[in-house]
Amino acid sequence: MNKQLLILLLLTLGDFATAEDATFFESKIRPVLAKHCYECHSSESGKSKGGLMLDTKQTIRAGGDTGPAVVPGDAAKSLLLSAIKHSDPDLEMPPKKPQLPKTVITDFEMWIKSGAADPRESAVKVAKRLPVNVAAGRQFWSYQKPKQIAGEIDAFIETKLKQNGLTPSPKAEPVALLRRLYFDLIGLPPTPDEVAAFLNSSHASNKTYEEIVEELLKSPRFGERWGRHWLDVARFAESNGRESNLTFPHAWRYRDYVIDAVNADVPFNRFITEQIAGDLLPAKDDTERARLLIATGLLALGPKGLNEMSKAQFAADVADEQLDTVMRAVMASSVACARCHDHKTEPFSQEDYYAMVGIFKSTQTLYGNWIDSENNNHGHLIHLPKVNGQMISGKSLPANRVKQLRDDLAKLNAEEKAQNEYIAKAKAEGRDISAEFNKILTTAIRILWSRGGIEGALEAVDDQGHAVPLCMGVQDAQNIADSPLYERGELSHPAQAVPRGFPRVIDVSREISKTQSGRLELAQWLTSREHPLTARVMANRVWRHLFGAGIVRTVDNFGFSGERPSHPELLDHLAIRFMDSGWSVKALIKEIVMSKTYRQASTRRADVFDQDPDNRLLSHANKRRLDAEVIRDAMLGVSGTLDITRRAGSLVAELDGQSVSLIGFNTKLPSDLDSSKHRSIYLPVMRDHLPDVLEQFDVANPNLVTGDRDVTNVPLQALYLMNGPFVQEQAAALAKRIQSAPNRIQLAFELCFNRLPDAQETSLAETFLRNSSGDESKLLAAFCQSLLCSAEFRFAD
Amino acid sequence: MKMIHSRRDILTSMSSGVGWLAFAALAQARSGLAAREPHFAPRAKRVIFLTMRGGPSHVDLFDYKPELIARNGKTASLGRDSSGAKLFGPVHPFAQFGESGQWMTTLYPKLAKHADELCIINSMHTDLPNHAQAFGQMHTGSFQFARPSIGAWTLYGLGTENENLPGFITLNPPADNGGAQNNGSAFLPAICQGTRIGGSQLPELYAALLKKDVAPGPPMKNIVSAVPRELQRAQLDLIRGLNERKMEREGVQPEIEGAIASFELAFRMQSEIPDVLDLRSEPDHILKLYGIGQGKDQFARQCLLARRMAEAGVRFIEIASPGHWDHHNRLRELLSTNCAATDQPIAALLTDLKARGMLKDTLVVWAGEFGRTPYAQSGDGRDHNHKGYSIWMAGGGVKGGLRYGATDEVGYKAELNPMHIHDWHATILHLLGLDHTKLTFNYGGRNFRLTNVNGEVAKGIFA
Repeated sequence: MNKQLLILLLLTLGDFATAEDATFFESKIRPVLAKHCYECHSSESGKSKGGLMLDTKQTIRAGGDTGPAVVPGDAAKSLLLSAIKHSDPDLEMPPKKPQLPKTVITDFEMWIKSGAADPRESAVKVAKRLPVNVAAGRQFWSYQKPKQIAGEIDAFIETKLKQNGLTPSPKAEPVALLRRLYFDLIGLPPTPDEVAAFLNSSHASNKTYEEIVEELLKSPRFGERWGRHWLDVARFAESNGRESNLTFPHAWRYRDYVIDAVNADVPFNRFITEQIAGDLLPAKDDTERARLLIATGLLALGPKGLNEMSKAQFAADVADEQLDTVMRAVMASSVACARCHDHKTEPFSQEDYYAMVGIFKSTQTLYGNWIDSENNNHGHLIHLPKVNGQMISGKSLPANRVKQLRDDLAKLNAEEKAQNEYIAKAKAEGRDISAEFNKILTTAIRILWSRGGIEGALEAVDDQGHAVPLCMGVQDAQNIADSPLYERGELSHPAQAVPRGFPRVIDVSREISKTQSGRLELAQWLTSREHPLTARVMANRVWRHLFGAGIVRTVDNFGFSGERPSHPELLDHLAIRFMDSGWSVKALIKEIVMSKTYRQASTRRADVFDQDPDNRLLSHANKRRLDAEVIRDAMLGVSGTLDITRRAGSLVAELDGQSVSLIGFNTKLPSDLDSSKHRSIYLPVMRDHLPDVLEQFDVANPNLVTGDRDVTNVPLQALYLMNGPFVQEQAAALAKRIQSAPNRIQLAFELCFNRLPDAQETSLAETFLRNSSGDESKLLAAFCQSLLCSAEFRFAD
Repeated sequence: MKMIHSRRDILTSMSSGVGWLAFAALAQARSGLAAREPHFAPRAKRVIFLTMRGGPSHVDLFDYKPELIARNGKTASLGRDSSGAKLFGPVHPFAQFGESGQWMTTLYPKLAKHADELCIINSMHTDLPNHAQAFGQMHTGSFQFARPSIGAWTLYGLGTENENLPGFITLNPPADNGGAQNNGSAFLPAICQGTRIGGSQLPELYAALLKKDVAPGPPMKNIVSAVPRELQRAQLDLIRGLNERKMEREGVQPEIEGAIASFELAFRMQSEIPDVLDLRSEPDHILKLYGIGQGKDQFARQCLLARRMAEAGVRFIEIASPGHWDHHNRLRELLSTNCAATDQPIAALLTDLKARGMLKDTLVVWAGEFGRTPYAQSGDGRDHNHKGYSIWMAGGGVKGGLRYGATDEVGYKAELNPMHIHDWHATILHLLGLDHTKLTFNYGGRNFRLTNVNGEVAKGIFA
């Protein structure tokens, strides 16, 4: 008997499930679901687009964001049916493919009308949204340890391409590849000579691709490029931002620490440990001690509510910011959302949060800003051991000035004491002094604010007035204690104390010392081989910088609300290789850039566009807009004006006073913060007051952990490139560089694009130079600027 | 393996309709985003969006709840969220204003004079009580994904009235809560994204206005052409030629098409922007009306700039409030501060638009990302509340003097005519002459809308 007729018959006979039903499902329904739907809607693929999973009876009936996919017996209400029938233009499934055959659609209609018998009871695995519960949370992909799977990058990529009927692209053109490699590894374009050394086997210093990779990884420029990536994640800045934007004149030490550590390829587990607990690590000498103290700057650099009056609230907010930064930066986790309530979408409870808060509250944060009209919380600083060759950015004072300051301080203290005694006495005598209130208050504020500045000045010098080496960072607090859990995050509602510890969904245990804050244990916990996230998150960050998108595109969010990995096995492979190599970031980068996948051409392909418009499968390389710093450094590079030395200290360290809001009136500050000739990583990073080029070209917001910068394309960028003084200057320098060359146009193209112009481009350039009016050198500069403005200059192919 | 070599290939592979038009318009770099016909006759031609970031307390400002006043201090029984917290009546008195008897706070005396202009929506609700997500959802409809901002959708749907200005401008947008994403174009053509003016730029302008600027300079960074105009035009042609050559060699690249368009736009902006941003041409009575030159007047200047931009043909203008409204404590004091800082400029904006006959087709929106709880937090503050809150709109075809929808008796949850963000977006688009179900863009195989698969137009608020 015809199956459909049979079903109709059954339907008329009443609702009873039979073996026939199961057979019908197995032969007509399940194969279609598996072939066309599971890719995006199943626990196996890890995807539940639109919140919909179709691989169990429960989930297909529960449906997704828009409603149940299947309502037994009700074809009209079953969205799955309308989706495959294409009856709603907004919901046509399978996407981007021709409609399924009529017979298949009829099968589904029959199946639903007849009660949608579904034997897939036992297959219940992961619910759409896990409850905030540890056991269930541990089932989630990112909270499980990476699995060792044999393979290598290209094989993982090609397998997935093949599964989707796609093929990889051919190798990129050598020059495009070389430029990509240079931009990615050191953030500068190759020089014409470096290109020649790669292209010509007869060149005196001819090098293979691999030799160049090695050389770039060893270059000090590497740390200036990859250090910046970490500074994005570390929300590095040299001022506080927020409502009290005070400068951090010693923050540059942390910047330099990061650059040096990246250049030295300090193992990533050690790198993390140093930044979280450097002060608690042993040091073999003063140089290392200083280095380790500076590393803890990570925890002190955050934006703080400096004008907060309540010390307790301030401490709670600082701990929260530190916790949030460490969790997002290292684990791509939003644990800090559990401050006021259990996390709504992730398996983190308030207990988890306050267990970690205890660690940070047992920590003293030293950030420098002294009390003044904008700041109620004196930050102090760490005094570094004196080391040979150490840069000290502070200013020395004459010895008599030190004495003067101390006298002033003593006077203020005495004045305060007298006033307090006066008030106490009046109180004791029951005398009403409310009429003097204003006077008393004014005096108190004057004492407070004047004292802040004096204390700040004295802290920066020794007895003789010599500036001392200082840094931002953390140390264990006097009082080591667990934190209570605060209901709704409110300090006025403390509940039971939570022993210091770590989020329980991560199945790694570590005892915390009773006598230390627990930061060292936190670092050990994070960098344990058993920790499922740390290596994966970093490998994914590296991948994102080399391909333009992470394997998990939400690089700072590996939780339920983040995206699932496009290639989970590959990510695990990279994470394990990373740990096996001794957490060497350079080894990881080398493995990736040596892959065929990395070396593919970036040409967009028609055969891919429909199927994989976002290039998730990496059938070709991505064309990428260069980062702000790279655009600027490339301009300095091609114009020959780049000062490749490290900028000593920072412009911010040379400013007097601490308020950025007054900077507009600060005559020491160049109106154009971009104007230095050093690499862009050394530009001042004051929150809400960034150098123009950084701001225009989507620099990381220094208030937030940022692993994935925006890429925008707006007219303000064009205005910057056309009219910005910095670009003008570089264009003029480039013009000077090429003016006496026999073929200026060719040289300009070689410098800017590492290639010669084609006939059409030559003619465009000649026409421009011939037909425009103006004096010769200005015209040539205008020509050079046009090259700097071209898309090719700021894109890596 | 076939490489894409022509724009035609990619265009034919995109779905037809508005999406195609946008792409074609983008390709016609010189014409930028020419004005386009709406789906039906619009009530509003442009939007001025006053973003009150942080979540202003609706129960203290626009949602009058006698029951909340009566039950002040009583334990709130609003489910697990409020466990044990006490109801907390409005910290400042409400009163009725205008002929319509509109109930609103007494903290907004100047705005109250426009009570008959205001269409107060008391039944707003959104999906999450977290700033970043709710702020994102208010702008893009989605709290999870990078989606185009409502300003970008507006520009995409209607094009610009003045091709020499960006069609979507955001003044001093907050850097947090998603930052640029809230003004972004996501998958829409890049030219639809908000052009940010502000940050370190506007203070110079203010200084110029106050005539305190010792070093007179351009009102905006990089806006003055560095070379003679003819030479710059030639430069631009050269840049364009190089970019087009690159595309011919390598096939279609939307990023490069976007770059071409943005250089052309920048070129034209050079002549228009300085005029629009220069408030010095405004007569004294207007400056006084907004409160410019009186104390902290950044927001006042922005409101006046918004009017000037609206006049000049900018389609969507967004301004962020000077302070945030995230009043977890010290509500009484901070609310008066915020209201005082915004009252006169907003009232002036409405007066000014009306006097120029522009209010009828300019939709002014006042909204935060959510509201606050009717119960207290930290003594004298309120926590976030996404289940019910209020916003208002004025002009642009909405009914003035109207209170639309309602929360429960204490102002906790939207009950009567609840208006979700999707409904609100659908309604705004409708006012602009756009059918939210038809304003789609095909991306990755799906037709995306601002309103996802939801959204009901609230016709009840139309004039």
